[in-house]
Amino acid sequence: MSSAQIKKEEIFGLWGTFVELVKVSLRAIMGSKMRSFLTVLGIIIGVLAVVTVLSIIQGVFASFFKEFETMGADTMFIRPNYEMFKSHVEGIRRLKMTYDDALYVKENVPDVKDVAPFLMSSDQISYRGKKDSTQIIGTTDSYITVNNLGLDEGRFISSVDVATRRKVCVIGVDIIDKLALPPQCIGEEIQIGRGTYTIIGVQEKKGGSFGQSQDDIIYIPLTTGVQQYGQTVANQVFMVVQVKDVKKMDDSVDRISTALRRKHGLKFGQEDDFRIFTVEQVRKIIKQFTSISTLVVTAIVSITLIVGGIGIMNIMLVSVTERTREIGIRMAVGAKRRHILYQFLLESVTLSTLGGIIGLLSGWGLAHLIVFILRKSVSETFPPAYVPIWVVFLSLLFAALTGAVFGVYPAYKASRLDPIEALRYE
Amino acid sequence: MATLIEVQNLKKDYPMGAAGVFNALKGVDIKVEKGEFVAIMGASGSGKSTLLHLLGCLDTPTSGSYLLEGTPVHTLSQDELAELRNSKIGFIFQSFYLLPRANVLENVELPLIYDKIPPSERKKRAMEVISFLQLETHAKHLPNQLSGGQRQQIAIARALVNNPSLIMADEPTGNLDSVTSQRIMELLKKLNDMGNTLILVTHEADIAVYAKRLVRIKDGIIISDEPIKKD
Repeated sequence: MSSAQIKKEEIFGLWGTFVELVKVSLRAIMGSKMRSFLTVLGIIIGVLAVVTVLSIIQGVFASFFKEFETMGADTMFIRPNYEMFKSHVEGIRRLKMTYDDALYVKENVPDVKDVAPFLMSSDQISYRGKKDSTQIIGTTDSYITVNNLGLDEGRFISSVDVATRRKVCVIGVDIIDKLALPPQCIGEEIQIGRGTYTIIGVQEKKGGSFGQSQDDIIYIPLTTGVQQYGQTVANQVFMVVQVKDVKKMDDSVDRISTALRRKHGLKFGQEDDFRIFTVEQVRKIIKQFTSISTLVVTAIVSITLIVGGIGIMNIMLVSVTERTREIGIRMAVGAKRRHILYQFLLESVTLSTLGGIIGLLSGWGLAHLIVFILRKSVSETFPPAYVPIWVVFLSLLFAALTGAVFGVYPAYKASRLDPIEALRYE
Repeated sequence: MATLIEVQNLKKDYPMGAAGVFNALKGVDIKVEKGEFVAIMGASGSGKSTLLHLLGCLDTPTSGSYLLEGTPVHTLSQDELAELRNSKIGFIFQSFYLLPRANVLENVELPLIYDKIPPSERKKRAMEVISFLQLETHAKHLPNQLSGGQRQQIAIARALVNNPSLIMADEPTGNLDSVTSQRIMELLKKLNDMGNTLILVTHEADIAVYAKRLVRIKDGIIISDEPIKKD
């Protein structure tokens, strides 16, 4: 036999041993299902908590930053500074940012290449009796260039549309399905709230990230939007500003800030009533958020590790005592100490990993249930729960690790048994 | 005939706390050739179990030497003893000592797992022994679905599966009725006739007579060692 063959045989033997050990573990675990379940309950609850909390937070996080995803390095996003007030609702009531502000920035700051102001609302839509609802964006011709949007058909909103408050709209591709529009939908008339709008364009499919479609949207001229949705909405105009030179971004931010302060009549020392976000800042926030959620995960996981681990160690010690005879038999027929060690270690790892999987699945389920309830009771647009792949791996890894760490002592104890005494054990 | 076991002045002491030590074996000399069938007889407390454990490589002596096929067993570590048990010794116990949750085939396979034999080869060899004992129909049964005699046969299959140089039987009929006991002893005799070396530990004279040689032990020393005359 060649050495390669011998090696192959050896690996096969090792693999066979491993498979055998997993089989033995599963048999022992399934042999007392209730006890096994109670043993890993700590780990199940820990993983369930982590996954539920994180998937809801991540869902909110993902939907919040969706707005910034298409942002280029030469753009910044400006919105009222809602953080000045205790609640978002109070911020909306007390703060004002309008189409005029956008025009003022464009005309008075030479660094600015273009400004795309927009207002947001959601509304009922219908076409020949088919009804639904969607997000409405009221904006100008600049929006398509500043945000790098593409069109499948037709044209985008023009400056003339804005100036004359025409009732025209550009639809996202999802709207075609939602309203069962004909394939050639340009020129068709649809109902948006109280108004009747003519479709002039179809936006290129953007796809959905984090489970929320970016194609479920309708664009109308900003001025038409102001007319339709009234002063409250018109006072909450956001803007995306594109600068001429990306290298002078920080200076441009300062100049825009100065211009807006002047326009809003703010005195020296008064806080900005608007906030400017650049791609760089968004990245910082993402980083900060990530480190906070990592901290939360680490904290919960640490508690899981200890609580769940102690439960596992406890039962494994009982299991070793109960199966002293079995250990004796295995030793008598030739099991070395390490074979016994691996057997019990693998059993506790298998047990805790199973707990991790159960926790993961039930956490995923619970998160979706909570989102479902929130959608029914609080807001229909609550973002869907989202479980990032790193959460899956991390929670399974920690579950397995717990089994390994807290399984070592019982397994070691088992491996140090004296074969004769173990055989005699009643 | 080649020598299988050579034991010289074997002693085993057990610490007894404040009372000092208990001398379980006080200097045993014994030599066993390949192909022998030796019965070791003695009352409980005579040291016969201690001798069985030492000969079966489950324990190491306090002093003295033990050569098994030339290997000095008395110098080996726990893991080396395990390896030796795995490759050279097959055990048959009074209470069968089968794994309750494993089926017959898996129980018989057990020694081969620790010998790193690939699964297919393992199954093949285990099935060979099982069919030799005509237990094929029970291969998938659990031990508690079988009778005492059948369980002991499974244990014998497990003892045979690794082709051991030595089979150690510790009161193999202690938990069986007389008819079944007879059947098991006939089987052991047949194994000996096929060339296997057997050491049988018992306190029953009518069981010991199946062997070819009788060693009597009392208070830790061998008091007689003679061939058994067959009628």
